[in-house]
Amino acid sequence: MRLTALDEVSERFGLRRGQGLAEARAMFPAIAVVDEDEAADQALIEAIADWCDRYTPLVALDGPDGLFLDITGCAHLFGGEEVLLKDILGRLFQMGFDVKGAISSSPGVSWAVCRFGHGGVISHDDIEKVLAPLPVNALRLDAAAVSSLHKLGLKRIGNLLSMPRAPLARRFGTGLLQRLDQVLGLNEEAISPRRPVAALSVERKLADPIQAEEHILQLTGQVAASLKPGLEARGVGGRVFELVLFRVDGRVFRVLVRASQPLRDPKRISSLFSERLTAVHDDLDAGFGFELLRLNVIEHELFKASQGDFTGDGHGDASFADFVDKVSARFGPNCLQIAELRQSHLPERAEDFMPAMAARVVGENVEEAFAFVPKVDRPLRLFRYPEPIEAFAATVPDGPPQRFRWRRIVHRVVRAEGPERISPEWWLDGKDAEERDYFRLESEAGRRFWIFREGRYKAGDAAPVWRVHGILA
Amino acid sequence: MAENATAQERLFALRAQIARLEGKSLPALAAAEQAQAAENPECEKAKIKQLRLPFGIDPLDVALEGGLPLDGITEVRTRLMGDAGAASGFTFALVSHLKGREVSGGPVLWIGDAVSRQEAGAPYAPGLRQFGLKPHEVLYASPRKLDEALWLAETALASRALSATILEIRGNLKNFGLTESRRLNLRTKAAGRPLFLLRHAGEEEASSASFRFLTEPAPASGRRLPDGSVLGGSIGHPVFRLTLEKSRNPAPLSFLLEWNPHDRQFSLNSKAGEIFSFRTPPAHSGTGLPASADRPDRTPALGHIMAFERAS
Repeated sequence: MRLTALDEVSERFGLRRGQGLAEARAMFPAIAVVDEDEAADQALIEAIADWCDRYTPLVALDGPDGLFLDITGCAHLFGGEEVLLKDILGRLFQMGFDVKGAISSSPGVSWAVCRFGHGGVISHDDIEKVLAPLPVNALRLDAAAVSSLHKLGLKRIGNLLSMPRAPLARRFGTGLLQRLDQVLGLNEEAISPRRPVAALSVERKLADPIQAEEHILQLTGQVAASLKPGLEARGVGGRVFELVLFRVDGRVFRVLVRASQPLRDPKRISSLFSERLTAVHDDLDAGFGFELLRLNVIEHELFKASQGDFTGDGHGDASFADFVDKVSARFGPNCLQIAELRQSHLPERAEDFMPAMAARVVGENVEEAFAFVPKVDRPLRLFRYPEPIEAFAATVPDGPPQRFRWRRIVHRVVRAEGPERISPEWWLDGKDAEERDYFRLESEAGRRFWIFREGRYKAGDAAPVWRVHGILA
Repeated sequence: MAENATAQERLFALRAQIARLEGKSLPALAAAEQAQAAENPECEKAKIKQLRLPFGIDPLDVALEGGLPLDGITEVRTRLMGDAGAASGFTFALVSHLKGREVSGGPVLWIGDAVSRQEAGAPYAPGLRQFGLKPHEVLYASPRKLDEALWLAETALASRALSATILEIRGNLKNFGLTESRRLNLRTKAAGRPLFLLRHAGEEEASSASFRFLTEPAPASGRRLPDGSVLGGSIGHPVFRLTLEKSRNPAPLSFLLEWNPHDRQFSLNSKAGEIFSFRTPPAHSGTGLPASADRPDRTPALGHIMAFERAS
């Protein structure tokens, strides 16, 4: 067992990462050892990354213990780069983290300066000066390259900077030069953010943290109202909105709602969140309150503006979409479904359900044109799985039964229509699938059933199975 | 003097409120309306048409005071789960009839019950299509709990975007009592959209529904041939045996109603051995009385025969 991480005190004692546990214990018997929990470490760094969303939407993970923040265009919102860095480090320090940070024009320089230097803000002109004394490890090279550079006596980045490029490329490949270019800003390096960047986003910082749900909703409404001009300027409406709530102690909650139509109206946006918050009520632990609230537009679409009429109630489509959105926000998109007809002779495959939200996008008349329309009556209610019945005195070979027992009740058949033979879809069901003969039956009591026989009566074989598949009106 | 006038005013206000609760027109205005109706009968008819869904069968519409309310609850109940086919059929027939009358109007919302779906199956789109409802006209909601179902019904009514809402429940539920039903009734009144309450295997109970039908299955009518005769042994249009249990009429009304999905029309089915009659419901539900028209008579079934076929 080896040491993977150390606290400040043990570092001062001279323990190192990678040292054997037995050796460390021999040196300092009093040290306290905790098992490493990689999952928890990962969760922690992700939580910190979430928290860092308050500074910029572009946050990327860097290994198990680092974060990249792309603060392009964000620094002025916090009063400049120095203030921003001080703010981040100060807040993290108060949370109990020992963090080093650097701001520079490329991720490579920041990485090098954080891990091998003193951090801080580095202007573009100072890069070479700052990098020169740092070891070559600071270039994020693989171990083999570092050791071969060491063998040649190239221990500092400064040594490399003064050398001609061609021999370096010949000796170490292009990897080294690429890293060099990246730190010098000659080669742009992109970070990969954890979350998609919102098209539009508005936030509200609060001097006094809020806890109550109605306050959150009220603020959401206000924030949504300030989102409206942005949406109008682009001629779009939002389809997916995300409310990000930053709790005082650093936890971040995200609430996502979807709309079936592009939305701009602040009232409707906040009413969607009102439904969603009711649904997630128990998961949203306000604790000591939220200090920052942000509304993101994740997806947007062209907004079709329609002119209102004088009566003021001609918003049939809008109120329907509103209803669908409300229900979907509260109970999830699968609660409200719409049926679509499919081209299949098999009854259970002739219909398909899809969320009502998705269905509104698809044209309504498409299914009509292509759907298979059976000539024979279909049941009003269909069982998802046909239920087996005991059929008595069926006319052999292909007649309906005289009586049948279903759910322990014997029904005497008075009238019957059929058979309607439906062949299996061999391309899906395989070669051995049996064909079905469907009958519409009416029992003595007047109940009407839709039953079928799977397969046929054959000499020597067992009798085929009868099943009830639906109920007719 | 002034006190007297205020008291009068309060009395009128209370009267008006009671009238509104009962769904009647205001007493003061009623006289004026009647006078107007006498002058212009067309206008009165149009007014009724707006708020009522007539069956198109005169004796029935008279008994229902013009038809089913379009701003109220209509309950359809069955005694047994096994009659779910007839009850769902009747409810969907009503909705289809309603959609047939209206030119515009949004889709229909079906708020299903999970257990009923296990017991009697889920509504089947191709079947509904033959019943007169297009697939994209029906929305299916599948709430997990009764609370959710009630919320859905309430929101659906309040949105006014749906032409009808069907709430399917099973049995007499403790959490769905008079309070909840009154609440829904107020919503229907405010929105002017109907709610159909489909209660499987339930008893009669006090509710704010304007009408309650007990639905039982009845033999279907035979298929008609082009020359007008009936094809023997065939199963044609569905027929429901309905008993109007709750209405302003004192006596329960029992009849056989046939639904013609092609024409989207109801008609009274008197061929099957029972005529339109006011009758008391049987003390115990025996086997059905009518024998099908195309078969030799069977041994007489158990139960009371309340009305015979007309001799002539």
